Amino acid sequence: MFYASSRFAHRLAATLVAVASLSSVHARVWTSADGRPLAAEFVALQGENVLLKIAGGRTIPVPLARLSKADQEAAGRFAILGDDTATMRSAKMIDALLAKNLVKGGIRSFNQPLPDDLFARRVYLDIIGRIPTREEFQSFAENSRPDKREALIDELLTEPGRASHLFNYFADMFRLNGNADFAPGQRAEPYIQWWKDEIAKNTHYDVMVREMLTANGNIGQNPASGFLLRDAGMEFDAFSNFGQIGLGVDLSCAQCHDHPFADWVMSDFYEMAAYFGNTQRTMGQYAVADSMGMKRATMPNAPDGWVDSFRKFAQTKGLNLEDPDASRPFNFFVNNALGWNIADNATMDHPVPTTVGEIGGQVFKPRPIVGDKPGTGGKTRREALAEWLTAKDNPRFALVIANRMWSRAFGRALLEPVKDFPLEWAKATGQPEVTAFVAEEMKRVNYDLREFMRILYNTKAYQTYATAAEPASTQNYLFAGPVLRRMRAEQAWDSFMLLAHGEQIDEIKGRDGSFYKELLNVNFEKDSFEAIWSKYEAFKQNRGRGYGSTMILASESGSLSGVEPDVPKLGNLELIRASEMVQPAPGASLVDTFGQSDRIITDQHTYDGSVPQVLALMNGSITDRLTGPTSKVVEDLKSLDAEEDKVRGVFFTILSRFPSDEEQAMGVEMLDSYGDDGIRDLAWALINSPEFLFIQ
Amino acid sequence: MHIAELASRDCASRRYFMRRTALFSLGVGLSYTQLANAQTAPKKAKALIYIFNRGGMSHLDTFDPKEGEALMGKTTAISTNVAGIRFGDKFEKLAKHADKLAVINGMMSFNAEHERGTYQMRTGYNRIGTISHPTVGPFAERLLGKPSGQILPASVLVGESTSNAGYLDPKYSPLPIADPSGGVPNTTLLTETERFDKRMSIANKLGEQFVAKYNYAGPKSYVEYYDQATKLLRSNELSAFDLTGESNREAYGMTRVGQGCLLARRLVEHGVRVIEVINDGWDMHVGVDQGFADKGPQLDQAVAALLEDLKAKGLLESTLVAVATEFGRTPEINFNAGRDHHSIAFSTLLAGGGVKGGQVWGKTDKQGKKVVEGKVMPEDWVATIGYGLGINLQETIFAPNGRPFTFSDKGKPVTQLFA
Repeated sequence: MFYASSRFAHRLAATLVAVASLSSVHARVWTSADGRPLAAEFVALQGENVLLKIAGGRTIPVPLARLSKADQEAAGRFAILGDDTATMRSAKMIDALLAKNLVKGGIRSFNQPLPDDLFARRVYLDIIGRIPTREEFQSFAENSRPDKREALIDELLTEPGRASHLFNYFADMFRLNGNADFAPGQRAEPYIQWWKDEIAKNTHYDVMVREMLTANGNIGQNPASGFLLRDAGMEFDAFSNFGQIGLGVDLSCAQCHDHPFADWVMSDFYEMAAYFGNTQRTMGQYAVADSMGMKRATMPNAPDGWVDSFRKFAQTKGLNLEDPDASRPFNFFVNNALGWNIADNATMDHPVPTTVGEIGGQVFKPRPIVGDKPGTGGKTRREALAEWLTAKDNPRFALVIANRMWSRAFGRALLEPVKDFPLEWAKATGQPEVTAFVAEEMKRVNYDLREFMRILYNTKAYQTYATAAEPASTQNYLFAGPVLRRMRAEQAWDSFMLLAHGEQIDEIKGRDGSFYKELLNVNFEKDSFEAIWSKYEAFKQNRGRGYGSTMILASESGSLSGVEPDVPKLGNLELIRASEMVQPAPGASLVDTFGQSDRIITDQHTYDGSVPQVLALMNGSITDRLTGPTSKVVEDLKSLDAEEDKVRGVFFTILSRFPSDEEQAMGVEMLDSYGDDGIRDLAWALINSPEFLFIQ
Repeated sequence: MHIAELASRDCASRRYFMRRTALFSLGVGLSYTQLANAQTAPKKAKALIYIFNRGGMSHLDTFDPKEGEALMGKTTAISTNVAGIRFGDKFEKLAKHADKLAVINGMMSFNAEHERGTYQMRTGYNRIGTISHPTVGPFAERLLGKPSGQILPASVLVGESTSNAGYLDPKYSPLPIADPSGGVPNTTLLTETERFDKRMSIANKLGEQFVAKYNYAGPKSYVEYYDQATKLLRSNELSAFDLTGESNREAYGMTRVGQGCLLARRLVEHGVRVIEVINDGWDMHVGVDQGFADKGPQLDQAVAALLEDLKAKGLLESTLVAVATEFGRTPEINFNAGRDHHSIAFSTLLAGGGVKGGQVWGKTDKQGKKVVEGKVMPEDWVATIGYGLGINLQETIFAPNGRPFTFSDKGKPVTQLFA
């Protein structure tokens, strides 16, 4: 079924030989403080030395102090990101493959190279999710080092903003919602925070997916369990989403009837879904008969009878279980918060819903829809599935995530739609060679998405102007450069936050779910009822505030209490990045207005304009903050004297580019006539010219 | 169109293509076509005001009272201006308009959870995790279009701060108006008009070059949206949202639902096709009597005033008024003197827009537990609304992922409700 990729592997090998000779040339040339060159690969930092691998394979220590300043910095970046030799080789390979297709398609070369100013704006937005500050922009523009672009890419890849921005992408893809959606009242902040933490640590994507697929416990005990808990009660829909995310196939049609456009039949769907067949997600899914023959719910992952014993304990604490009002929070704590809890339960199975045609009621045995069936030797179904999915020979997993990451850099995926492209994908893209190559690269970097993006950002193809005309179809697009994109809602919001509050917004943490995580993190085997009861009391106390799910665990040890995060505000508006807000952002917020996903369906973010959007840009409170009487833009330009500098400053601040002569003249005239009011008007106009929202 | 589209899909399997071709050419779909002809409303409404009582409105205490039953609690039944139709005692004003109302007491659904129930009653589809369905407004605009030159949107959602168009193009999203008295957000200029105009002209000038440089729909659409927004700000259309000049504001009640209904009427006059008014606060698990003492008269006054007003302005015949909720509430009164969720029997209302007033459709058992006659499922209810708006219920549209959809999930309209 995936012969396509092997067919191209053959052609690829030939191309690789051609490019391999380039690679030896690429090893970085290090320069000593007194200007002597040394071609070598970075190995590691060791105390005051940097270990470099030189021609012939020998590793030598070189004192950091003996390297040029630029190389000392490079060693610092490489210590986090690794040497760039393979990165650059890979980037060149992508360029070579794309260039070959460009020529075939009758285009002589890539788009014009991006000038420094537009390059800076694009990488800031693409990597850390916001525009650069005026200072950041200027320091890059004035830097004359030849490797400054690579250096900036590396630097941004190590900044906290990278995690925030990538989180927003995954939040849309994995439908991260503070509200548990199908389990009303449940909160998922600890799971959401797990995503942020893992991305910040740059945990490799395959590791994260395996953790999510095999997680047991509740979100306090194991936050990664939030992935499967999210759709408790909607198991088959959850599986449909899993197919789109993990395999890039939309099987949802085959959930109720044979797929109309692809060759999926219903049994394919239910056989694949059977990997979750004995996954228990709630207490209610696993009822055992007691001695009287009555069904009794049992807590997953807890000793048998735990619920009954804890209920008895509650009575000794004076709780009247007969009084529905008094027992409601207690029941919610046990049944919902703690009991929203994943376990493998060999005695249960999810039969096909009876509403589904002739196969209703049947139970299917697990079988993957593509590739070979994994061995089960002692593994649970989910473990077998996770292993099969993330194995190097899985035909889709690397391809799907590589294709998605490509789309983040170029604004168009190689295969679209990213969540549903044919099994014989090579026919569905104009770039089969590049597609096969990047899928292999994804495996080579072991799903290190930071390294993968580093490759893409260093391609010549990426560092060109956006293609001037919108490509009619992805299938025939030759990738002479990225396409023009509108900012994501979160990029627009975070850029406004930057303008309103400065770059410290990158460091401000919002709702980390730590308090709620602590409340739910109980050990059913070891914790005393007394200890769990005190968690219940803290839980109940915060009933009116989402049970404390959006609070931060107070740092004082000993007591169990939560505090609201301390964040800067403008009136009622919290000046924090979108990733730190409640997920998804509240309705009526600018983030919502600009099209953030409602996190119900995968990839629901929209990039369209609307009248409410432009009204907010014209007349909203953020615009007022930036262009009104207390304009932060005007304040930041106070230190500049010359009108020319002020005009340039406004352009740097908002559009991160140099004004044209005509624009400069117009700006100076406005300042001449209206003074600071002229700056305000100019700032307003720049925010409200469509250019602001687009990434060129 | 179907066949051409299917043939052009490179992933379309021959199997399906053949099957669909057979369906169209062999007349297998004939009964389908006949059905479609039978389901076009004779007199279609031009507009819809859909009042949605979120939380689950008790049917026993509103439009399906059970006389003399202990389970009625403090609610008593009162007579209306139509013999045989009786309402709960909080609906004195509406009782005078029963001759305009079609009461549906045969509603039932299988969703006793708020969000899913609400979703189904507003979209005609079950909420699932793989696609998001549009509500009535966006779907109606997709099928029926929007009059050219109309500045206001084709649909407005009152009482919510966010909206979407489901799988449809976001341009069909209703305009959300969180507070009916608050108007459209961000329509107050930050500076005096003259300076705003100057700013706007500079922005346009700066934008020109950019828009010319890139031949994409995106930047051009923003030029268009700026144009629309500026037109809106300069037009008198925003006055549709200004309730302050209304002489009969008080008649509707100075409540969210009252002002929401008043706003809806004004929007109908300004050419908006679908206005949904969300009226929260019906989840009366505790103290249903206190709850009704508060919410009942608010709804009663608002809907009665709306019907009178529409009638007086000659708009009732062309405006369909629908009153619904996601489910009913248990006939049994619980430990907390409240009623819990009960989806297998509840009530809705229709009026205006060609509806034959003075009738009751469907019937529940003696205690209001189950529907015994005239069952109407949520998809039927939404289909009935669509029928009233003159929507072709068989017209198939395709979501971006290729899934075919019709207005409301195979719902059968209750055509008998219309004159």
